[in-house]
Amino acid sequence: MERNLLKYPFITSIVIVLFFSNATFAQENDVTNYRMGFNFSTTKQFDNSRLLEVSFIATNKKNRKDKVPVFNTEVKFYNVLNEEELLLGTVNTSKEGIAQLILPENQNYLTDDEGNINLIALFEGSDTLEAETAEIRVKDLHLELNLTEIDSVKTALVSAFTIDKLGEKIPAEDVEISFYIQAMLSKMIIEEGSISDGAYEFKFPTDIPGDVNDDLFVFAMVVDNDEYGNVTQSETAKWGIFHKHIMKEENSLWSAVAPLWMYTVLTIMLVGVWANYVYTIINLIKIKKEEDEIKLKI
Amino acid sequence: MDINKRKRELVNEFSPMLEKTSIVSKLWIVALIAIILVGLYAFYLQLMNGHKITGMRDNVVWGIYIINFIFFVGISYSGAFITGVLHFFKGSWKHAIARIVKIITVLSLIIGPLFILLCIGRLDRLHYLFMYPRIQSPITWDIIAIMTDLIGCFIYLYLTFIPDFAILRDTENLKVPNWQKKVYKVLAIGYQDTASQRERLQKITEIMSVMIIAMAIVAYTVLAWIFSLTLQPGWNSTIFAPYFIIAGLYSGVGVIIISMYLIRKTFKLEKYIRKIHFIGAGIVLLVISILFGYFTFSEYFAKWFSHKTNDVELLDTLFSRYFWEFILANYIGVLVPIAILFFKKLRTIRSITFAAVIAVLGLWLNRYLIVIPTLETPYIPIQDTRPEFVFYTATWIEYALSFAGIAAFILFFKLIMKFVPIIPMSGIIDQERCEEKRKKGTTEQVQ
Repeated sequence: MERNLLKYPFITSIVIVLFFSNATFAQENDVTNYRMGFNFSTTKQFDNSRLLEVSFIATNKKNRKDKVPVFNTEVKFYNVLNEEELLLGTVNTSKEGIAQLILPENQNYLTDDEGNINLIALFEGSDTLEAETAEIRVKDLHLELNLTEIDSVKTALVSAFTIDKLGEKIPAEDVEISFYIQAMLSKMIIEEGSISDGAYEFKFPTDIPGDVNDDLFVFAMVVDNDEYGNVTQSETAKWGIFHKHIMKEENSLWSAVAPLWMYTVLTIMLVGVWANYVYTIINLIKIKKEEDEIKLKI
Repeated sequence: MDINKRKRELVNEFSPMLEKTSIVSKLWIVALIAIILVGLYAFYLQLMNGHKITGMRDNVVWGIYIINFIFFVGISYSGAFITGVLHFFKGSWKHAIARIVKIITVLSLIIGPLFILLCIGRLDRLHYLFMYPRIQSPITWDIIAIMTDLIGCFIYLYLTFIPDFAILRDTENLKVPNWQKKVYKVLAIGYQDTASQRERLQKITEIMSVMIIAMAIVAYTVLAWIFSLTLQPGWNSTIFAPYFIIAGLYSGVGVIIISMYLIRKTFKLEKYIRKIHFIGAGIVLLVISILFGYFTFSEYFAKWFSHKTNDVELLDTLFSRYFWEFILANYIGVLVPIAILFFKKLRTIRSITFAAVIAVLGLWLNRYLIVIPTLETPYIPIQDTRPEFVFYTATWIEYALSFAGIAAFILFFKLIMKFVPIIPMSGIIDQERCEEKRKKGTTEQVQ
């Protein structure tokens, strides 16, 4: 036996690997082999509600493709100012390891003198997992998107501002903004730029197909901004050119009148067959006539 | 050869078929009429109460009426095809079966479409089909095709009857009623068997025989398109048209063999319908059964392999609720005839007829499995409804009318055989005339 094992080192090595593989697997499943990802983000949505989202996913230290969502764990969201702490809500993570909380437009936030909102996401820990926390500081940016025609030129206008404690609008500066169109499966980018003096304007492209009603769904998005986080605004306009470019497909078999070729083919075939019937009957009449001739001869 | 003497001999040989009716035959006729009367009563009930007394409902709108329609029309088209092909064969053997095939062709083409009428819910609106036809619809094509084909087959059958009508007209001592003799006279249209009349008749018969082969293929293709041009699972198939033609030939040859067997037995025509005819027809049935099996396999294999949701659902239904029907139709109905006909030793008259019976029954079931399970598994099923609204079971009304159709087919066959000999006398004379000519030609060449 021993001799055989030494004789075939390749097979022996596979057997050894198989023998220890189970133990290795058990070891890999250990929580210490995973790095916890506790990512917190916030998005101000087009209806001015605010989405708070935590992605709680464990990634294998050795194999980054091996990701395990931490699901059904409680995440608490706070709005914090100095010593004051306001619990916004508590959400359990989904099967994908996502915890989402949507705050309405009229939510009152604790803000500092500069208008910053401090948001904290907290996982208090469990027997196997350590506590996790993440913090975001954002200003409440207001985005207004208008799609109008200026001198017959289709134009997209964005104004971006914050509102101070006195209720005055303060224009945003140097904020990167992108514009998208809702396509069938994802959003298609049509413009990128930087907001200056609280505004951005561009000539809207005129060759974009819309939906069946010619509607275009336009999104203005500020993404991962250090000061404002994610901010989205959307607007709809009948600027699509769907009917102009795509010909309506017609199935002539469903129409009231059949296509000409069908009448032609059917007529040729039927005339051919029925003409033969007539020819046959004419010949039968001739046979009958021949009898009359025979009788006359007799 | 004295033609007139030969004609008299043949009339003497075949006239008992026309003149006498045995007690057994009379009993058969009574029984067939009784079945037809039950069918007519069922039809009356259906007409008065509507389709609610059948098994047809919202999902399964086509029941066994449509299956009978496809079945009979398939037999007819295959008959037309075979009769057209037979016309171009030389040899005395073909006369024994040619007329049987022609009668089957015409009768099944009359009986088959009657089942369509039974399937129509509002018969009072039938004329709309002709008044407002949609030329884009395969149903309209089918109506045109069937009407044209029926008239064509009638004309063709009549053409081949004319010389025999003339022989019967000229036979003075024929013991048939006077009205029958008058009908012979009218239908013989003054045919005197002169060379020019013979030549003219032969010419138009030949053209018609070519035409009905083409018409049979076109018409049965159109019938297959009624199914395959829809998107229904199980029907939407590119090979449906050739599959239908092969299936039609399969059932057609089967029915011909069964008819040959019964006619041979009843009229003791062993001299004319010989074992060689059965072996020939059996080999044709063997080839067609292999082709039919091949098409059936291709049809279901493609559905299984494509793994389309609705096709898979249909196959699941076929292999669960219709398991035995599926086995009988597509395994027993194909493999048993192949097994019997493949081995030379097994090719006896009885075994060939048995194989034909299995083939015909199997094919009827095959048609059932094409129509019903597909309609029971629609794309958008009706929600929360009673099972009897989803699943189909034929009622006694439908069976009564189906058997009435079969009885009418047999009854008409018997009546035609009472009117004209089942073996064409003119064909035998033409054959003997040709042989004599050939002999003469050979003798002259030798001299």
